[in-house]
Amino acid sequence: MHVLLGSFAFMCIFPFLYVIIISISNEQSLAENGYQLIPEQWSLDAYKYLWDMKAQVLQAYGVTIFVTVVGTFLSVTVISMYAYAISRKQFKFRKQFTFIAFFTMLFSGGMVPFYIVMTQFLDLKNTMWALILPMAVNAFYIIIMRTFFLRSVPEAILESARIDGAGEMRIFLTIVLPLSIPGIATIALFSTLAYWNDWFNALLFIDDPNKIPLQSLLMRIENNMDFIKQNAMLSNQNSAILKSIPQDSARMAMVVIATLPIALSYPFFQKYFIKGLTIGGVKD
Amino acid sequence: MKKIGILSLVLLLLTGVLAACSGGGSEKSSGDSTDEEVKLTWYMIGTPQKDTKDVMKEVNKYTKEKINATIDMKMLDWGEYNDRMQVITTSGENYDIAFTSSWANNYALNARKGAFLGLNDLMDKYGKDMKKLIDPAFLEGAQIDGELYAVPANKEVGQQAVLSFNNELVKKHNLDISNVNSIADLEPLLKVIKEKEKNVTPIATFDAYLPFDSILQEELPFAFRLDGDTDEVVNKYEEEITMETLKTMHEYYKKGYIQKDAATSTDSWPLETPNWFVRKEIYQPYAEDVWSRSAGYEIVTRELHEPYIFNNSVTGSMQAISATSKNPERSMMFLNLLNSDEYLRNLLDKGIKGTHYEENEDGTIKDLPARVENYNMPSFAIGNQLILKLYEDDPKDKWEKFEEFNKNSTPSPALGFYFDSNPVRTEIAAISNVTSEFSPALLKGAVDPEEYLPAFNKKLKEAGMEKVLDEIQKQYDEWKKKQ
Repeated sequence: MHVLLGSFAFMCIFPFLYVIIISISNEQSLAENGYQLIPEQWSLDAYKYLWDMKAQVLQAYGVTIFVTVVGTFLSVTVISMYAYAISRKQFKFRKQFTFIAFFTMLFSGGMVPFYIVMTQFLDLKNTMWALILPMAVNAFYIIIMRTFFLRSVPEAILESARIDGAGEMRIFLTIVLPLSIPGIATIALFSTLAYWNDWFNALLFIDDPNKIPLQSLLMRIENNMDFIKQNAMLSNQNSAILKSIPQDSARMAMVVIATLPIALSYPFFQKYFIKGLTIGGVKD
Repeated sequence: MKKIGILSLVLLLLTGVLAACSGGGSEKSSGDSTDEEVKLTWYMIGTPQKDTKDVMKEVNKYTKEKINATIDMKMLDWGEYNDRMQVITTSGENYDIAFTSSWANNYALNARKGAFLGLNDLMDKYGKDMKKLIDPAFLEGAQIDGELYAVPANKEVGQQAVLSFNNELVKKHNLDISNVNSIADLEPLLKVIKEKEKNVTPIATFDAYLPFDSILQEELPFAFRLDGDTDEVVNKYEEEITMETLKTMHEYYKKGYIQKDAATSTDSWPLETPNWFVRKEIYQPYAEDVWSRSAGYEIVTRELHEPYIFNNSVTGSMQAISATSKNPERSMMFLNLLNSDEYLRNLLDKGIKGTHYEENEDGTIKDLPARVENYNMPSFAIGNQLILKLYEDDPKDKWEKFEEFNKNSTPSPALGFYFDSNPVRTEIAAISNVTSEFSPALLKGAVDPEEYLPAFNKKLKEAGMEKVLDEIQKQYDEWKKKQ
């Protein structure tokens, strides 16, 4: 059993190790021999290349961190409040609000209406909000959180708090939240990952190069490579296109710096994570 | 009680929507007059550059003075441009000018959809200066049913495929390329290279050249012949010449002149790495100089055919005015300036004098490091190339040569015929799928055409090839009558 699990874990982590190895290989030996597990020559050129464009990379890093922190905070706040409200029997429109959240899981307007709402009604083009708001509320997490509150916060505690004269807000902040830390940590982790890895919203709404998050920077390079593949004729005439593509090892180095921080933060969440998921997984 | 809850919610949402709708004021187009200052949004293709802001400041000073308009240029990267513009067009977003072409933000498709304004009248009124400069072949060839929907950038109007050679190797082995006129003539040269140069792949992967004018994308089967019966649409993969050419390519592949993984390789064969002997390129006057310069060693070319004017070459780079534009007149005035005013055109292309380039006494220029690093613009995509300043190492007669090249280009039989693919959309989607499965391997020589071409054609038939060919023929005949 241990051997099985161990080999499975290795299979999961191996691609990432490979990426790290490629990022510290010499470009010349990559060109000659393709990707190798143990390259002929090591080199840190790729990281030097990133260091040279540090202004852009740091800017993108800043955007990613800002969006992730603010976004996670906002989405945890909104989701837990919404979920708490619909978990309380005293709330009259509980069923309707549950339905409204649930409905969005089944039907969505599609990309173009979403784009129209974001750009023309809310006028969020080229703002940080365009990266934060679309992912702030997730119906599925609301349902998970609601179940979590129902299970882990006994009605009796709320009763006693009310008898002691606490208001709704106070009950929520000082009693319900501390009791539900595992659930909240789970949602927070999901949100953090989602925000960190999101590139699609930036592709749709951001034209200002200073507001591009890190993953989008990577995605742009990938998209440009696809484009060159399809329009080889064009790119030969216009070296400007080719100049926008970093080399293999540099691309892998970008993947490393984009993934490493989030991969390293995972262990800190883990202890909550195990509890949170099992409890939230039951629907009543 | 339940009902009231939902009702009040619906009302709440509705009021929100209504409030948002009434927010957009309806500005009137300013028409002829330039009394009122306007801001034009311009979507451009290319990697966003650091110094764009500074350059646009200068541009706006100038355009404000000339036509009382400021330009907000938004650059979207190569790989994103197409998807982004699709969303922008579908959502009916308001913008003024956008880059369009046969290969990104598709010109014919968008023009038919009504996404672009028809420009004939606007051009006559506000585009007089550029009309004088742009080669008439562009203005005629890019018309769809008699109306022009975008302003073509004046450049080489014809398309000519050439074989280019790494001259270092040609000289080293005393090879004679003067009688190479087709892919088949390469055999003896490739043989020498294969034997004597261990680290060189003789052929830098390319798709075989086939003498057809393709409808829609290059690799799709529908095409018109360039000689013989040119009025009949054919499946180019059933033609004799295709079989022969692909056989030659496969021969080369078997002999190891072509990379083993040619069919799936994504290698872009950068010129800087001299690990190749021959490749296929699209030519424009003095292109060999440009290539040699970026390669760092000499590159020489042999033409595969006379330059032809195809739909794809006249719609290779254009600027359209959006149907949603609030200021079409002012947009046209700007495009007119962009394509006829040397100062503005060079400013957008080369950047600011003294910062991005230096000018010599004879009017030629030299790039400064700042241009290469912070303002590297896709020159061909902006507008008229023939009013650009020459670099000090450019030949003096570069633009004259372009004009000559344009004069000597032969219009293809289907030039100006833009097929409307709507009636056979499903078939075309199926055919595209089949094509992407077979054509890369076939065109690059990786598989045996005697075996794979018939299989390919059988699958094309199953996908509805006949129906599409009939539809194209029908539309072509109608179009031909009107000519």
